[in-house]
Amino acid sequence: MNLNSPWLRGATVAASLALGAVIWEVTGRYTSDAFWAPLSATLSSLREVAVNGVLLRQAMSSFQLYIAGLALAVVVGAPFGMLLARVRWLRVALEDYVLMLYSTPMVALIPFLLSMMGFGFAPKVLVVFLFAVFPVLYNTIEGARSIKPELIEVAQSFRSGEWQLWRDVMIPYTLSFTMTGVRQAIARGLVGMVAAEFFLSPSGLGQMIMMGSQNFDTAGMLAAILLIVLLGVGLMDLGRALEKRFAVWRGYNP
Amino acid sequence: MSGSAVLDADGPRGYALLNHPLFLKATAGLVLLCLWEGVVRWLAPPYVARPSGIAQVILGVLGNAEFLSAAGATLSAVALGLFISLITGTLIGFLMGRIMLLEQGLRYYVNSLFATPMVAIMPLLTLWFGYNTDARLAAVVFAGFFSVTVNACEGARSAPLECLEVAHSFRARPWSTLFDVIFPSSLPYLIAGVRLAAGRARVAAVVAEFFISIPGLGYYILYNSRTFHHNEAFVAVIVLVAAGVGFEAFTRWLTRRYFPWHRPR
Repeated sequence: MNLNSPWLRGATVAASLALGAVIWEVTGRYTSDAFWAPLSATLSSLREVAVNGVLLRQAMSSFQLYIAGLALAVVVGAPFGMLLARVRWLRVALEDYVLMLYSTPMVALIPFLLSMMGFGFAPKVLVVFLFAVFPVLYNTIEGARSIKPELIEVAQSFRSGEWQLWRDVMIPYTLSFTMTGVRQAIARGLVGMVAAEFFLSPSGLGQMIMMGSQNFDTAGMLAAILLIVLLGVGLMDLGRALEKRFAVWRGYNP
Repeated sequence: MSGSAVLDADGPRGYALLNHPLFLKATAGLVLLCLWEGVVRWLAPPYVARPSGIAQVILGVLGNAEFLSAAGATLSAVALGLFISLITGTLIGFLMGRIMLLEQGLRYYVNSLFATPMVAIMPLLTLWFGYNTDARLAAVVFAGFFSVTVNACEGARSAPLECLEVAHSFRARPWSTLFDVIFPSSLPYLIAGVRLAAGRARVAAVVAEFFISIPGLGYYILYNSRTFHHNEAFVAVIVLVAAGVGFEAFTRWLTRRYFPWHRPR
């Protein structure tokens, strides 16, 4: 039997998902409600919040926060990274600090932001921004480091102006690396979003999880977690697709 | 790396010192610190952390027994959690990489839990493990395990086919195929996985401590920033960053020293 046939593949995946659902349901029925809820209860709780409009409201609130922070991170990170790519002394001066901030656990800064900026929307966007901006910046700089000096020399010997140099060499060359950063930022931004909703003012999907856990409504909590898991999977696929789309520009397919 | 040579060639002779990377980096650091100090003095309330304030308290905090035990608790939980996720993740990742049925069955679960922000699971972990250090360890393992598994699986599949065929034709036992062919060729992947896991694990430990208020660097930050001791709290952030940068440098060195053929991603 051919193990690679699409039919068999599909069947295995379907069987594993079905098995997972059955295990979830059965363990949910035989453990205490405080620990774990059956899949059916989780889904009916999900239907309930979807029908009464809570889900849409909370999801929109989360979505606004996420998009605002992520967009800000890309808009700031990519151009700044490319500037560092072009101005070599600035890059040499700053790249170690960017690396340091890239590996800073930003979640540790949330208490500072809380006591400085309070509970508004702005500090939460700032949290998502901080989570997301450094991957973009770091990867753009990494891309810049790998620009072949010959490319710039050739462009300059053909008398391209600064603007043309950016348009024809810098941006096309670094963009694929920036997209690697954007993929990481998409994932990190989601962590930042949930962390901001937990530890700053409760709102959105984070608030749904918290409410569920505080009210011992395990099914409600699992419903919100399931949503975030699906969101994470979807966003990760989106990020991979973006990265792959632009990886062609590097001249090879990773 | 190539920057220094190019820079030295660039500038006129008299400016060699000005163009030296170390000089540039040191100046930039100084400028950033001054900027931070200035902005905080000018705009922010007096309790906000600033370089001069941190410099005053850092030695006292680093010598403080309570702080040291907090740092030890967090960092050892991270190390233990990483160790557990390295062992279990490698095992499961290798099995997934070599046994197709297992890979097809588990792939969706591993990938979706890999994509899940660990923070979202934290309330569930406190329900399961209670408000104690077990929950922190579980959070660290959860954060690290899937990055190791995904990378180990990829590594196990990257084993060169010729080597596997040779091992097969010499009737190597599965055990020795695993240890002599698959393990060595997937080492760089494992290191990449651990590197990713280490970053996530630190975040997980801090988040867990925010949640369950057990002694550790995260709780130290939370407590001190709530009582407006931002300078003291920031020392804990510095320790977290230093641990991360140190580990990162170590794994980079390890990859470059022992696996120079591997392109780090």
